[in-house]
Amino acid sequence: MRLFHDPMFKTALLNTLTFLVIQVPIMILLSLAISSCLNSPRLKYKQWFRLAIFLPCVTSLVAYSILFKSMFELDGVINSFLLFLHIIDEPIAWLADPFWAKVTIIIAITWRWTGYNMIFYLSAMQNIDKSVYEAARIDGVSPIKQFFFITVPLLKPVILFTSITSTIGTLQLFDEVMNITNGGPANSTLTLSLYIYNLSFSFVPNFGYAAAVSYVIVAFAAVLALLQFKVAKDR
Amino acid sequence: MTTKNKITTLLLSTSLSLASCAIAAEELTVWAWDPNFNVAAMNEAASRYQQTHADFSLTVMDSGKEDIEQKLHTMLASGITNSLPDIVLIEDYNAQKFLQAYPGSFAPMQDTVDYSQFAPYKVGVMSINKNVYGIPFDSGVAGLFYRSDYLSQAGYSEQDMQNLDWDQFIEIGKQVKQKTGVNMLTYDINDVVLPHIMMQSGGEWFFKEDGSLNIADNQALKETLLTIKKINDAKIVRPTSGWSSFVGAFNAGQVATVTSGVWIIGSIKSVEEQAGKWRVAPIPRLKLEGAKQASNQGGSSWYVLNASANKQAAIEFLNATFAHDTDMYQKLLLERGALATYLPASSGAAYAEEAPFFGGQKVFQDFAKWVGEIPQVQYGMFTQEVDNAIAAEIPALLKGEPVDDILKRVENNLKYQIM
Repeated sequence: MRLFHDPMFKTALLNTLTFLVIQVPIMILLSLAISSCLNSPRLKYKQWFRLAIFLPCVTSLVAYSILFKSMFELDGVINSFLLFLHIIDEPIAWLADPFWAKVTIIIAITWRWTGYNMIFYLSAMQNIDKSVYEAARIDGVSPIKQFFFITVPLLKPVILFTSITSTIGTLQLFDEVMNITNGGPANSTLTLSLYIYNLSFSFVPNFGYAAAVSYVIVAFAAVLALLQFKVAKDR
Repeated sequence: MTTKNKITTLLLSTSLSLASCAIAAEELTVWAWDPNFNVAAMNEAASRYQQTHADFSLTVMDSGKEDIEQKLHTMLASGITNSLPDIVLIEDYNAQKFLQAYPGSFAPMQDTVDYSQFAPYKVGVMSINKNVYGIPFDSGVAGLFYRSDYLSQAGYSEQDMQNLDWDQFIEIGKQVKQKTGVNMLTYDINDVVLPHIMMQSGGEWFFKEDGSLNIADNQALKETLLTIKKINDAKIVRPTSGWSSFVGAFNAGQVATVTSGVWIIGSIKSVEEQAGKWRVAPIPRLKLEGAKQASNQGGSSWYVLNASANKQAAIEFLNATFAHDTDMYQKLLLERGALATYLPASSGAAYAEEAPFFGGQKVFQDFAKWVGEIPQVQYGMFTQEVDNAIAAEIPALLKGEPVDDILKRVENNLKYQIM
């Protein structure tokens, strides 16, 4: 019962859901687009691009978080670059502003996980029979239409799989927020996992309550996975 | 090497390792953070103690403060005591949390140690009822560190910095920003250093004597939040996030002042080129009846664990060094900037030393004077929770919501947090 009144829990839940709703679709679409580009037979140096985009996935979560933290400092690389291009007039307080901190976290996880999903799509695309595309080309279907009406429907099971794993991954989001913003500023990037950590190890220890919060994650993961199965079936 | 020789060496080495095992039973382990400060102090104490106790040995495990707290939480909560250290360092804000959440885990020491020799505010933090736990170590007495070069460019002398209230501080900040382009101070929404310093200088904390919440009617907290809003409105702050960007900002000369505990000296002095440019003044005063120009931020103390097999040895060691050795404190002060809360140590020669880094100012004498003026407050068990709840409302404060509403909301929210 304490759970439903606890404002900090509500904040954590809301933040986690925000990350989920914004980040997962962006990442899925981005990795779909990238993988279909990489799948194009006309592309040169394919190996190199594939490696470059997949490489973030092998970096350690903590190491890249700390790197991102320094890049997004007030006088970090990102601000200097944007100032240099005259896109902004004064440095953005990426990590000190509640809104921009959320954006930073989303950029970070997107960078880290897009390549991972891309590999799934790529391997699935290579399994699609080339004759399907050939037939479409002869019928005069534009590449964009080919993508939406051939590639995407045929990839449906893989898209379902990646969106479920990404959903679960986002629900468990911890390393990035712990290291980049530590839940701040003003709890604007506090996630459920980080809240569980705080409850167990930095507040007066309350393992029972922390366990209760962790069950919420389990419940959410299950419900969201079911929902995605339903949506995918209806189509 | 013949077989016989081999056997002899084997036997010899076995007996040697057995002997070292026997000695190892006397060996104490300590958990502490900050190799240049706490760890160094503990090693210094150990080497001094060894001169009179030849069989004494001690190892300090150096890890981060958060890591130590987390390890301690996990082990005390699980009840597994065999990998706990004999002595552990705990920050004052968290002392009551550990002492109350795990009763009987720490050894009371009032029978051995004479606590009247320590600063009273420090002893209060580590007492429950009549029992006093641990040995008070460093003080977190606060000061206003400022760059005299920036301030003189803006037209202010050292004399002007001595007796400020926060409004005057903000006025100076505006002048500094206008004339030098440098921000007056850093600000981090999640940071607790400045609010803690301000509130304690007003003589109040988040909790009353009996441990109940003191938020909605807390005048010092209200004035603190109002001041923070004024500082932000004046646009004299450089936003930072986290410890490293905070230290980075003043190390790179991007801000003109740092208001912090005395332990920040170590970080300030790490930039050689800024030698002679820094000065220290008393912190500005809150606009409140009875507010002092002295406060505290951080500071920590040594605790002995009850489960330790070498409990008596650990207590005797701490008592002989940190509660008696004034000479050691002089050395720690000069080398590490560790300001003790052991009162007899504050009259030593090291305190009268002029600090070249601070333009010859006798900084430690000043700090020692301010230690005596720090208002005593009850840190209670839940400081971290309250900090978090207040940080969550800071954006609303900066947008201009009335402070009274915010504090009422915080107090209400906390009722569900602290159970």
